[in-house]
Amino acid sequence: MWRQPYFIFGFFILSFFLAGSFVYEWVWGDVPAQTHYLMEDGRAVEAAPISPNWQHPLGTDQYGYDLLGKLMLGAKYTILAALAIAAVRMAIAVPIGYLFGTYFEKQRKWMSSFADSMHYIPLTLFAAYVLTPLLWMPENGFSSTLSERISVQVIIMALLTVPIVSVLVANEAALLRDKEYILAAKTLGAGRFRIIRKHLYPQMREKIAVLYGQQVMETFIILAHLGLLDLFLGGTKVSYDPMFGDPPMSISYEWAGLFGSSFRYLQSAPWLPLAPVVCIGLAIFSVSLMMEGYLRSKNPKIKKIRRQPQEDPVVEWNREQLREKMVRLKNENQSK
Amino acid sequence: MDDKIKKRENFPKGVKGLKFLTNFCIAITGIILAGSLPILIRGWVEGEWRGRLYVESIRETLEGLWPIGEIAFLNYRAGQEMPLFPNIFAYIVYSLEILFLALLVAIITSLTFTIVTMLLSDNIRERVKMILYFLESVPDLLIIMLAQLSVIFFFKETGVLISKIAVAGEDRIYWLPVLCLAVLPTIQLYRLSMLTFQEEERQMYVELAHALGFSKVYIVLIHMFRNAIISVFFQSKRTMWFMLSNLFVLELMFNLPGIMLFLRGNMHPLGFLVTIFSFFLPMFILYSFGEWFFVSRRQNKAVA
Repeated sequence: MWRQPYFIFGFFILSFFLAGSFVYEWVWGDVPAQTHYLMEDGRAVEAAPISPNWQHPLGTDQYGYDLLGKLMLGAKYTILAALAIAAVRMAIAVPIGYLFGTYFEKQRKWMSSFADSMHYIPLTLFAAYVLTPLLWMPENGFSSTLSERISVQVIIMALLTVPIVSVLVANEAALLRDKEYILAAKTLGAGRFRIIRKHLYPQMREKIAVLYGQQVMETFIILAHLGLLDLFLGGTKVSYDPMFGDPPMSISYEWAGLFGSSFRYLQSAPWLPLAPVVCIGLAIFSVSLMMEGYLRSKNPKIKKIRRQPQEDPVVEWNREQLREKMVRLKNENQSK
Repeated sequence: MDDKIKKRENFPKGVKGLKFLTNFCIAITGIILAGSLPILIRGWVEGEWRGRLYVESIRETLEGLWPIGEIAFLNYRAGQEMPLFPNIFAYIVYSLEILFLALLVAIITSLTFTIVTMLLSDNIRERVKMILYFLESVPDLLIIMLAQLSVIFFFKETGVLISKIAVAGEDRIYWLPVLCLAVLPTIQLYRLSMLTFQEEERQMYVELAHALGFSKVYIVLIHMFRNAIISVFFQSKRTMWFMLSNLFVLELMFNLPGIMLFLRGNMHPLGFLVTIFSFFLPMFILYSFGEWFFVSRRQNKAVA
């Protein structure tokens, strides 16, 4: 695994963001540098949002905070949340899938038609609908703490697609269960639990790893979509002041929030919404790199599926015969 | 997927109709149960179990459905309550138009590309597959924003507005949203159908057709296409699911007057139910019909 360039590259990107995030907070504190305007020869040349320059590689936001700093500070929330959501989801869905794949064969059909119906509910919409009461700040402030809200959100988002993932696992397990070696194990007296532990799980380890990667990628996308709807990781700060209400704001600097709160600046300051989305894209990209590297390390043959035409004298002889016959047939047909 | 089809072949006709109905009922029950979920979650955040309120809310929602002509909804644009019917149809039709146009574009382009790539050598194919795999990780938001920015840039440079980038008032824009919505599904379907076609290529009948001297184009177009399209159809359900989320974001970013934007103004159980239902029905019918069509065709062939 660690020899695959794909895996190492993906791992490097992801750990760069994560480690960078913690180091940034440790060195510069949890508030990014603020510049209200740029001075040149004693005159103000540009006010916030400042476009990208040497001092601020990604420019600043509308209040003058350095965007790169915000991105680095927010990285840990977004990445860890996505990894955690996918992990919780797998931790719930895989055992359920195995149960349905081995113990409850009859109920598997019901389960899969239930999961099938979920394919008609757009995930973003469902997540937004269910999470609004949790994340949207009520008029008199939140009654829960930030970490409470984040953990509840992680669990809810994980639960949303548990049926679909567990049906995937169950169907896969059911396919494997019909194999001969499982039958042999059963005949020798292996219990169902032993079959799951010793036969099904090792066989499906790679598939489960890939499934986990896909869930992480999906979660990143959903988080970004939720950001567009002003539902940010860990809660949305809403100003209920009727006169000078601030737009909804993210409490942490997580990426979805950075994107969602700056989306309306797309035309005047395109770097503001673009940078967080590019970061999310990079994170997704690195996960897919890691998945590809992992798969390659597990079955190195993946690159060479090319079939070599076998040199076999019998086959050659047959081919020759066939060719002769066909030529003869063709000639006969023409002579008719 | 294959063994599923084979199993279904044994069913008599009536059972299949029943299966359709049960699936339909399960789906509806699931949607209704999901509609009142926020109540449970709000209870959870405040640390209490609100089972009774949840049941109450489901009951209210179902009762609210009854005089169906009298349901009123807040109109996001007009800023006032309006009767649901027939106003909602304009929203639904517009959303479905964009959704299905994009799906059609995605299917046609991805299949065309697949057929062209299948005629190329193995080396190039693997490379194309690799590129597609990584292209899939581009977020949809990025595509939409880049499209909007490039339209603005083009307008600034040449003074020609290719397409409006946001809807104001009642007008409709089509091709730019459809294009944005179609890009990612195209990539996904392209990779999927490449895999399916390659799987199909290893089958014996392809080898036989080769041996009989049919040209590569003919085999891919006539023989493999027919068999591969079934798998692609079954896999496209997942793509469709993913497109629905994208449609939601698209309507927000282009400010399109569609069904998803309608829901944003009506975030309560009844609104959720109506919204989900409006595209659940056409899609469910389409997929059930497609399943029936492909399975019955396969069955006929097996008999003959």
